[in-house]
Amino acid sequence: MSITTSQYVGNVRDTVKSFWHGMSVTLSQVLRRPITIQYPDRLEIPVQDVLPPRYRGFLEVDTDICTGCQACERACPISCIQIEVEKDPANPKQRVVTQFDIDEAKCMFCGLCVEPCPTGSIQHTREFEATQRSVRNLVFRWADPIKPFPVYKVVKGAPYIPRAPLGSRVKDLLAQRSWDAVGTSYLPPEPLKPPPPPPVKPPPAAKPAAPAAAKPAAAPAPAPAPAVQPDEPKP
Amino acid sequence: MSKLVLRRLDRNNEEMLINFGPQHPSTHGVLNFLVETDGEVMRRAIPDIGYLHRSLEKIGEMVQYPGYMPYTDRIDYLAAMFANEGYAIAVERLLKIEVPKRAQYLRAISCELNRITSHLVSIGTMATDIGAVTPLVYALRERELLNDLLEALCGARLTYNYHRIGGVAFDMPEGWRDKVLAYLDRLDSSIQEWDRLISTNEIYRKRLGGVAVISRAQAIDYGLSGPNLRGSGVDWDLRRDVPYGAYPDFSFEVPVGCGWAGVVGDCYDRYYVRVLEMAQSSRIIRQALEKMPDGELTAKVSRKPKPEAGEVQSRIESARGELAYYLVSDGTERPYRLRARTGSFMAMGIIEDISPGLMVADLVALIASLDVVAPETDR
Amino acid sequence: MAQFSFAFPKPGTKKLLVGATLGAALAIPALLAGLLVFLVPMVNKPLLDAFIREKLGHVPATWVGTQWVYAAALFLAGIAMFTFAAITGGIFSWYERRVAARIQSRIGPNRVGVAGFLQWIADAVKLLFKEDLVPGEADAMLFRAAPYFVVAGMTLVLVALPAGQAIVVADLDVGIFYILAVTSFIVVGILLSGWSSNSKWSLFGAIRATAQVVSYEVPAGLAILVPVLMAGTLSTQGLIRAQGGWPWEWFFFRNPAAAVAFFILFISQLAEGNRTPFDLAEAESELVAGYFSEYSGFRFALYFLVEWANLWIIGAVATTLFLGGWQIPGVSAQTWASVRGAGSFPAFGWWALQFVSLGIFAVKTLFLVNVVIWIRWTLPRIRIDQMMNLCWKYLVPAGFAAMLFTLVWQMVATWAPIVEKITALVVFAATVWVTWRFLQQTRKNVSLIAHERVDLSNW
Repeated sequence: MSITTSQYVGNVRDTVKSFWHGMSVTLSQVLRRPITIQYPDRLEIPVQDVLPPRYRGFLEVDTDICTGCQACERACPISCIQIEVEKDPANPKQRVVTQFDIDEAKCMFCGLCVEPCPTGSIQHTREFEATQRSVRNLVFRWADPIKPFPVYKVVKGAPYIPRAPLGSRVKDLLAQRSWDAVGTSYLPPEPLKPPPPPPVKPPPAAKPAAPAAAKPAAAPAPAPAPAVQPDEPKP
Repeated sequence: MSKLVLRRLDRNNEEMLINFGPQHPSTHGVLNFLVETDGEVMRRAIPDIGYLHRSLEKIGEMVQYPGYMPYTDRIDYLAAMFANEGYAIAVERLLKIEVPKRAQYLRAISCELNRITSHLVSIGTMATDIGAVTPLVYALRERELLNDLLEALCGARLTYNYHRIGGVAFDMPEGWRDKVLAYLDRLDSSIQEWDRLISTNEIYRKRLGGVAVISRAQAIDYGLSGPNLRGSGVDWDLRRDVPYGAYPDFSFEVPVGCGWAGVVGDCYDRYYVRVLEMAQSSRIIRQALEKMPDGELTAKVSRKPKPEAGEVQSRIESARGELAYYLVSDGTERPYRLRARTGSFMAMGIIEDISPGLMVADLVALIASLDVVAPETDR
Repeated sequence: MAQFSFAFPKPGTKKLLVGATLGAALAIPALLAGLLVFLVPMVNKPLLDAFIREKLGHVPATWVGTQWVYAAALFLAGIAMFTFAAITGGIFSWYERRVAARIQSRIGPNRVGVAGFLQWIADAVKLLFKEDLVPGEADAMLFRAAPYFVVAGMTLVLVALPAGQAIVVADLDVGIFYILAVTSFIVVGILLSGWSSNSKWSLFGAIRATAQVVSYEVPAGLAILVPVLMAGTLSTQGLIRAQGGWPWEWFFFRNPAAAVAFFILFISQLAEGNRTPFDLAEAESELVAGYFSEYSGFRFALYFLVEWANLWIIGAVATTLFLGGWQIPGVSAQTWASVRGAGSFPAFGWWALQFVSLGIFAVKTLFLVNVVIWIRWTLPRIRIDQMMNLCWKYLVPAGFAAMLFTLVWQMVATWAPIVEKITALVVFAATVWVTWRFLQQTRKNVSLIAHERVDLSNW
């Protein structure tokens, strides 16, 4: 590809000119303030406090004003909210929430559950830091199955619904748990039960045999250990 | 496909097969290219997609109509507003809903802001792929400032989930309008600085000018759209030619590639069209903020919409080209079929035919100039 | 808009840390300067002879141990130079990261020590503790050997590179030619590493680097010829002695062709040192990491040591050839001789002047180092065919033209020395004006951005 002299000179001139501008732009950056901040430890204000109020962080449930309507559970596209509402055994007219679990590890922070809530009980907070060694610790349990909370009944004509300060409950919840807390393990698998005794009544002579038959089945774990032993003398 | 390549290579033994990706600095996500090279010159590059497939279309058949909105964020995480809007428009057509004017304006503003963030990433990563790291940082700086604004508007920086069926989720926060105007002032001057820093840089122009030229006919044949299509000199923009939402109310220009650094349809044209589009987006946002009407934010939509059986399609101009949704309803509360047509997927198709004769360094420029984003390709 | 707050070090930093950092920041450059000045008696034959005669009490010409003393002195000098290169390379790695961060609107490493000054030590220690991995399919012996070739190429250059009036390991008669020759030794290491890694990316990088370094030897050689013609010697110290202390006495200003040759040399050196815009060999967006893709741990650290030590070499060679080297303004060769005194050991004033000359050389070199870093964080990378074009179509013809022009210019300068003096003043004035315009432009760039202003806080 041949080029003319004017193109040749023009290339050199364009190069010099563009380098002049480019270099002056990069040098002028030295005079400006860096845009970065030193999260998390060298901040004048905690970063949670500079986030906008609409920030979608961890979900928080104010259990005092939850009506137990389960609208949030239905709105959630990935079913990360699990609610159980039962009748209070002591007071059959009162319904209580025995389970209100939000799996924050699964949650995609879309905000669809916040919108149908009639009282504003479930809200996104500005909290987002909850590093946990065990991902199962990110299941936030808002209801206690031992002490279930009663559902809230909206008082007609009330000027407002009293809600706990946004974020205070999540902070409490996060403060309760250290980051390396042992997570709740998966539900233990059902232990292997011995085969149910045959429905026919065994003859009385077979009676002492029954516990003996159940024994190896009840303790399957030590069984493999002796099985290895015959291999050992081999080498 | 790869078996075929290997057999052919073994015969003449002059060429080298390289896996360009999936873990490679300039593949913009998880892409793989099987690159046959003869020294520095490529024989061809075969895109190998699917590493980021999350079956988003199938998920659409499992969740209810409003519940799919957060999933659309994940189709293209750099331009989530468009995916939101396209899906919302499709469902609105299915439900035959009219969107309030104010919501349409807010949609236009949020989408154009998102177009700027998306193009900033695009041109920034392009500069990095060409070897200049600093412009990327400047682009990301401007983008972070804009992300702050989007965060104040809708609560998230990336997965916005701002649009709703029948409107938008929130109104503008207090004082947001002035912040956006101040930001746009900054952006307009930053674009000029950007031009002086990198767009006019002689090395940059020479690296991109006349490289990987996609002709007008080729661009149309391969179904390219958006900036890639306009970079090839085709004057086609859905916002102007098939208007939707509030776009008929605004006046703006559609930048079309005209061979700024060589030939029409080269990498530089596709790049510079994006730079000019950012300025046009800024213009649209100013107009929208000025003309913002009062009114409702959403139309009346039930929480569990059950559209009549039928099929609709929506097309919008996304940052990566035409984003189209095809929805089939069978009268239940879940779609029977959901299909998304994305710009990146179409752009991937042309790489194999454009690549022969390019150099390895040009492949990087080609991928960057097509602005391929892996999640949008694979969905 | 943030308040202007310039607190250094940041309040709340531990006093011990501040002390350690400041101590290191003062002691390390002082140590380096001391090391370099320490070279003077080591490599100076008359001084060594005097040492043998007066301290050891032998006659140098006849004593058996004389050669051993010479050898020991050279060995110590070699160790001193290598230490100098290693520490300079380390500090440059921290410095480049800080400068790059400021250019990129970031803060940069700032945790290890005040302002992150001890970062390079932490990095080096970390790399030393990493596994020295050899890929299974690699040619293990060549793979292990390759970094040493690269390091050798870098260290050998330092032998002939001056840093002060008497500070040079060996003032070779063919000094600059020697530097040009041993620089290409690095290519051997790069090629070995690329080939032996048995990785396609490494091979790509190695072949690119080889093509690049071999090509750019030519314009570099042509550009070096210009000052050589002007000085009439190849010795590095001789080249500096032919220049003067004041800027208009430097070769850069005395001859318009020399200014052109300076830029040719500078560009060629960027290419030979694989710095942006010529970092094709390690182009991370194309070749992942190029020829050292497969390296880890200590060997990886060696490549980076060479890369940053090369910064000093790039600056020092250009300073030696064009920017007056260590020449102190107003101090002539007679002054040096008179300050030295008549004794076999030089007087104190002479040693002080050595430090001053070292400082002047370092300032000029560091300025060029800054420019190299600054270029790296501004420009994109060029493609391999464009790199070849630039070399053979632009730099080589320009280098030839500069050389021919210099031949004529030398005749003119000998015939009428006033022409050279006037040219030097005019070119110097033009350079000052261009620099002033450039700084103005830079200042303007800040105000061109809406809602932006000069703010030097947040370091």
